[in-house]
Amino acid sequence: MPRLPRIALGIRAQLLLVLTVFLALPWLGYEYVRELERFLREAQESTLAGTAQAVATALHGRPRLFAAPADPIASFARDRSSEDIAVDVLPPAASPEIEQIIGGLSRTTARIWVVDRDLTVLARAGSLKRPPLDDPPAASALARGWQMLERNTLHRLYARMLDQPTEEFRDDASAQGPARGRDIDGALAGILTTDRRTTSDGKAVIVSAAHPIWIGDDVRGAVIVEETTNRVLAERNRAFERLFNIVLAALLLGSVALTLFASRLSNRIRRLRDDAEAAIDAHGRALRPLASSTAGDEIGDLSRSFSDVLARLSHYAQYQEKMASRLGHELRTPVAVVRSSLENLNAQALPQDARVYIERARGGIERLTAILTRMTEAARLEQALKDAEKERFDLAEMVGGCVEGYRTAYAQVPFEVTGVPTIVVGAPDLIAQMLDKLIANAVEFRTSGPVRVGVSLGEATARLTVANNGPRLPDTMAGRLFDSMVSMRASDAGDVPHLGLGLYIARLVAEFHGGSIRADNLEDGSGVVVTVVLPLAPIDARL
Amino acid sequence: MSRRIALVEDEPALRDNVRDALKRYGYDVATYANRADALAAFRTRLPDLALIDIGLGDDVDGGFELCRELRALSASVPIIFLTARDSDFDIVAGLRLGADDYLTKDASLPHLAARIAALFRRSELLGSPAQAEDVMARGPLTLDSKRLVASWNGQRVDLTLTEFWMVHALARFPGHVKDRASLMRDARIVVDDSTITSHVKRIRRKFQAVDPAFDRISTVYGMGYRWGAE
Repeated sequence: MPRLPRIALGIRAQLLLVLTVFLALPWLGYEYVRELERFLREAQESTLAGTAQAVATALHGRPRLFAAPADPIASFARDRSSEDIAVDVLPPAASPEIEQIIGGLSRTTARIWVVDRDLTVLARAGSLKRPPLDDPPAASALARGWQMLERNTLHRLYARMLDQPTEEFRDDASAQGPARGRDIDGALAGILTTDRRTTSDGKAVIVSAAHPIWIGDDVRGAVIVEETTNRVLAERNRAFERLFNIVLAALLLGSVALTLFASRLSNRIRRLRDDAEAAIDAHGRALRPLASSTAGDEIGDLSRSFSDVLARLSHYAQYQEKMASRLGHELRTPVAVVRSSLENLNAQALPQDARVYIERARGGIERLTAILTRMTEAARLEQALKDAEKERFDLAEMVGGCVEGYRTAYAQVPFEVTGVPTIVVGAPDLIAQMLDKLIANAVEFRTSGPVRVGVSLGEATARLTVANNGPRLPDTMAGRLFDSMVSMRASDAGDVPHLGLGLYIARLVAEFHGGSIRADNLEDGSGVVVTVVLPLAPIDARL
Repeated sequence: MSRRIALVEDEPALRDNVRDALKRYGYDVATYANRADALAAFRTRLPDLALIDIGLGDDVDGGFELCRELRALSASVPIIFLTARDSDFDIVAGLRLGADDYLTKDASLPHLAARIAALFRRSELLGSPAQAEDVMARGPLTLDSKRLVASWNGQRVDLTLTEFWMVHALARFPGHVKDRASLMRDARIVVDDSTITSHVKRIRRKFQAVDPAFDRISTVYGMGYRWGAE
């Protein structure tokens, strides 16, 4: 028996395991989207910087705009900087002219501040917050269903994995003017600077660019353009979701297709295995040819070679079973030549001492003839089976009659017979022939005590047992005892030839009657019991 | 004038041995190795008895064919199959083609000579009236052991020599069980147990062909057969 692997994985499971390699795809997608996000951010920064520069350019060299002293409104804003100011309350602009200039830009999603050197807000335009966007309602019912599904399942999953942009963040700067950061410091130092910061509640990231306003060689103020990264985030999330949807769908489709394919493969292999197992019985005999597959792939090849092997096996078994009888027939003619020659010689006038040798030769020929008769017995029996006529009869009665005969034939052996009336359908002649073989076997191997013959009823079967005390069955013979030309006798078994055909004949008879035969050691190990199981006669059989 | 026996056998050694033995018994023997030679000779002159092997070289069933052809030439020439084959099928096939007896090559030469003599006696005496001392009567059964003829209720039952002697052995002591060995001895045949079984089956069938209610031969399992007394 080959050792089984510790972990048994079916082909399906193995293919699905291979499929997990494709789980790397979403990760690759994620990395790709991250890269995309970086690009978008950079683009956003440069856009903001561009806007700041454009606005600043419009304000360059106009000292009049910055002439006004710090007005009370701006101070109001600074004064209240420590207090909690409602988010939406904006400080009034200090410079209506500048307000006018940048007013045209207020429709973008950016917020623009213009401040002077003291960070007094001179003008502002636009808002950081965008009105929420609605998904357009889908046209067909199918698409609507898909949208629902997407929103209820996938979106929740995505919301866990990705930062969702929100417009509900706290904008610290909206009341008091732009938050002082690296960007403003840079701009007031005369350099275009960009910066990003997280809002105080951490819900949004604001990117800002500040550009200095030059009056002559002096920096008189700065233009600050701010924007949340929400647009980029939304863009990133949308890209990610689409990618994820596609990958999920492909994975799903792939696993279903692979599972189906693997199921088909494993089904075919399993069917082949079942067929191959069913084609050979426990004794290794081929019962029926395997239907060879017409499929052109490797499994088809496998099936065909299985079928080939089985056919060859069965031919070999047939050859082995027929060999004895064929050999017997072939030997018959030369034996007849020798015999007839001896007989002719015997008819001559021969000296007395020559007759001794003729007698010896005749003795040898008689023995050879006995062997030949045994060898052809199986073949003759097979012939007899072909035209055997079945009848209903009482197995116990027949066995009883036979045992009477055995008592005469084996005078020195005690027989014990037990039986209940058991009606079977069969050829009593053949059953008697089978019993002859079993008894001859039991008598030969018996060491002491009686040969016990029993007929009993099993479940819809009749059981015929022949038991004797004697040596146990050798393990190596298990299952082969009933094959042609298999004998467990020692080779020096005396002058009676043994060809190992007796139990083979018994098996032929048992199988002809739809029954089975087996040999076991007695439970106490004192001997061997051969059991023949035959089907009981149907109650209403007319046979 | 000695009787002429045609021997058709493909094995030269066996053919010569049988020929020598039969010559010793006073027969005139013509030997043939194949079907064509034998048939040509039969067409010229019919033998008094033919001994035919079934397998003639490559002609596996040549003997059967020859038997049929000889039977077509003459309905009365006794034919004995002498063969290495001994399956029931071959026996039945041979006898159905009109052979009078069937012997395996295990049979000894004196045995063969006895069969031949019996067949000659039968064909010789068939025309002459039965002698009372040779006839054994058991109810509806009469057996003429001289002419080797059996009849049931006055109707002739067409038995081969082997079958006749088996019936004779059984019916001599009605009610006694004859085991297979003594039956073989009495019927002067060398066959194994299973062939006895099929011989008995054929005998039953031949009697049943004459009388469907025939059930005199009963099987005593493990022991043998018995001719049922009335």
